[in-house]
Amino acid sequence: MKDIRIDYAQLLETNNLIQQNADETYWLCATRTVQESKIFPVSAYIVFSYLNCFYRFPELLKKIESVMPAEEVGDRARIQGLKIVGWTIPCFYLLGRETLINWGVIKPTDAIQDVIYVMDFWKRFQLSWHRNNGNITNRQANHKAQILPEHTLQVMHADAFDCKVGDSLHTAAQAFIAAVAQYGFLVSCECRLTIHNHGPYKISDKREMLVRDFRELAQYDFPWLDGVGKDIPFNNLSVAIIVENCHINLLDDWGSFESEPEMRAEHIVGVGLYTSDNLTEGRVPVGMENRESLEKIFLDLTEKIKEATNALWKEMAGWTRDQQLDAGALVYFGCAKELAHIAGVYEMEDWMMIDDRVERFRPLLNDEYGNLFLGELVGFISCPSQKMHDYTMMQHTDQPTRALSYIPYSVLKDEPYTKSVGFIEGGSSSLPPKENLYRTSKGLLTLEEYNALSQKFVPKVCSEDFRFLCSDWIKYHHNSDKADQLFSIEQSLSRNLKGKGASLTRDDIENMRNKTE
Amino acid sequence: MSKLYCDNDKYGYQCDFPIAEAYNSAVKDLIRKRFEVFGGKWEDFVFKAETNLIHKRDMEKIESDLLAFGYKFEPSAMSSPRERPDAYKASDLYAEDFSFEHEDAPTAPVDAKGIELCGVGDNVVSYKSNFRGIALYVRTIDKVLECLDGVPENTIAIVDDSGGTLTAPVLQHFSGVLCAGGTARSHLAILTREYNIPCLMNAKLKGIKDGDQLELEVTAQSKTAEDYDAGRDVNANVWRVHQV
Repeated sequence: MKDIRIDYAQLLETNNLIQQNADETYWLCATRTVQESKIFPVSAYIVFSYLNCFYRFPELLKKIESVMPAEEVGDRARIQGLKIVGWTIPCFYLLGRETLINWGVIKPTDAIQDVIYVMDFWKRFQLSWHRNNGNITNRQANHKAQILPEHTLQVMHADAFDCKVGDSLHTAAQAFIAAVAQYGFLVSCECRLTIHNHGPYKISDKREMLVRDFRELAQYDFPWLDGVGKDIPFNNLSVAIIVENCHINLLDDWGSFESEPEMRAEHIVGVGLYTSDNLTEGRVPVGMENRESLEKIFLDLTEKIKEATNALWKEMAGWTRDQQLDAGALVYFGCAKELAHIAGVYEMEDWMMIDDRVERFRPLLNDEYGNLFLGELVGFISCPSQKMHDYTMMQHTDQPTRALSYIPYSVLKDEPYTKSVGFIEGGSSSLPPKENLYRTSKGLLTLEEYNALSQKFVPKVCSEDFRFLCSDWIKYHHNSDKADQLFSIEQSLSRNLKGKGASLTRDDIENMRNKTE
Repeated sequence: MSKLYCDNDKYGYQCDFPIAEAYNSAVKDLIRKRFEVFGGKWEDFVFKAETNLIHKRDMEKIESDLLAFGYKFEPSAMSSPRERPDAYKASDLYAEDFSFEHEDAPTAPVDAKGIELCGVGDNVVSYKSNFRGIALYVRTIDKVLECLDGVPENTIAIVDDSGGTLTAPVLQHFSGVLCAGGTARSHLAILTREYNIPCLMNAKLKGIKDGDQLELEVTAQSKTAEDYDAGRDVNANVWRVHQV
């Protein structure tokens, strides 16, 4: 694991990473509102989760890095898909820090080695996740998320089935997307962490592709899916959507998109369906043998998801407020838990518990305080710690404020500081105990079996032979055997590209699609 | 009394909302007192001694001190007032003959076409024609359970802030949605777009009752992130339809 220095260059970088997140946090929140819910105490659980992230992330991220560096976790995540961690890891953690600063519980000079480490972990993970576009965030890429490599995109492009509004495949796909999005919001206690979009990827002059990942749908980490998620056969599903005459002009770090014109059903002209997890060789086609099989799987999944939605809604509506608070906080806090699965070091006690140090603050988090304090923290940027001198003009607002506190440089001179929050000693949850079964691509596994497989498994594209064969290498070596081998990994399950190798271009594939129409 | 680091803040003084500040001040006061009792250096207090000096019962006392003044919290989750009616204001969720009466809702009398302006909202998706349907307030779990037995055709659900999970089992059965909170990028907006249901978010409404026939101006321009960022009003109208 990388040494954590506390020197001037390091603090300059850490504070820059903090500021990047501060600016984007405001923008993301300003373009929505602090939301309420009739079922969940959303703002209260959000603040609760921030605290859990602050006290637990440093140790848990180090646990991941004890077996796999953040940049390697990023490689794995890029090929399998992931929940939204680009914004959540640093911001949930830093907003927990900001909350405690405003309560006087900590100073900006406290736990600074933790802050440096979490931001550095995030930086290395993000640079790896974004390897194919060279940015650190979607924001830096002018709100684009071009994550996938050419060899994956070619398969999705080639194998997508044409459809048009009103035909049976289009109708089935639309119904599935609506149902799974609805279910996803419920699974994630009213937040959007189940859904992660990336793209757009250019298909032709008038066409673009958007990849929509729906993560954690089945029995897995969340105790509330032990029952209702049993009949969902895939934990993760990705829908590749090709749109026509619709430009996706914004894809932000919350995985949300906007388009010009707004995307409507008639814009969708092609679809494909995939599943993946940390035990698959990238994305595995689901029902992609022919149009009929794809339509059938969409219909079957929609039915199962609707049943699960109704059952889960009834279960959640009967929860106590403490259970709602815990579940919501654990969904937010758990944004990074998939990284622990990738490394094979996931423990239920690490990720599905409210830390004892956080539990102390539960009585503060009534609905009204939660709404108002969160509103000040991320919307109005009006907490005392966020006020700056009057010459300051914050990005987006020109107000004398700053959303997230820096580490003061004075710690390099003689200002006392502390390094870390210390070790995790205990936690609790008011939710029912988690059953020791996890839905994976290798079937239902116990956690011990799942961790063991995760520790052993290395996807071929992440093996030493292929890991560093990037798009810049392919550009100049596409006619080599090695490039063909790389492309053949992704093509091995493709309906149309199996064995086609590395030299096809996007236009070759589009022409091939047009001929087969 | 010990001073905290934040007591010397040159630029920041307190939160804007009184309740937020009351709680923050109470926690800071507690930390000052316990740090004073501890008597050592801050570096030996934070993350160490304080974990045995600051307890959940201290936070419970902060709340009980506030409630002792007769204060009651504004609820958002239904479970909160249900479990603690002593601590939360009574909600109006079950009020009969309810209507939103937002102060900033624009209104206008019935015009020659027989329509009466009774509010505005942020359009999520721009459609080719406006949508007409019948108003139905859906504000409680019990109401959703009623809807599970069937939703009449052309129902326009009127929901409070958010509502994405409250209406989860029945959203697809609505023909239109008016949401009194959120933005065109909120969860409910995303879901109505997926279901192809006309929807206005952040709606400011006045005088609409269950059973009223409404027209939603969903031909209006949809509100973009740029509009929100710039603070631009991009409104779609809500009219009550009268017989002419």
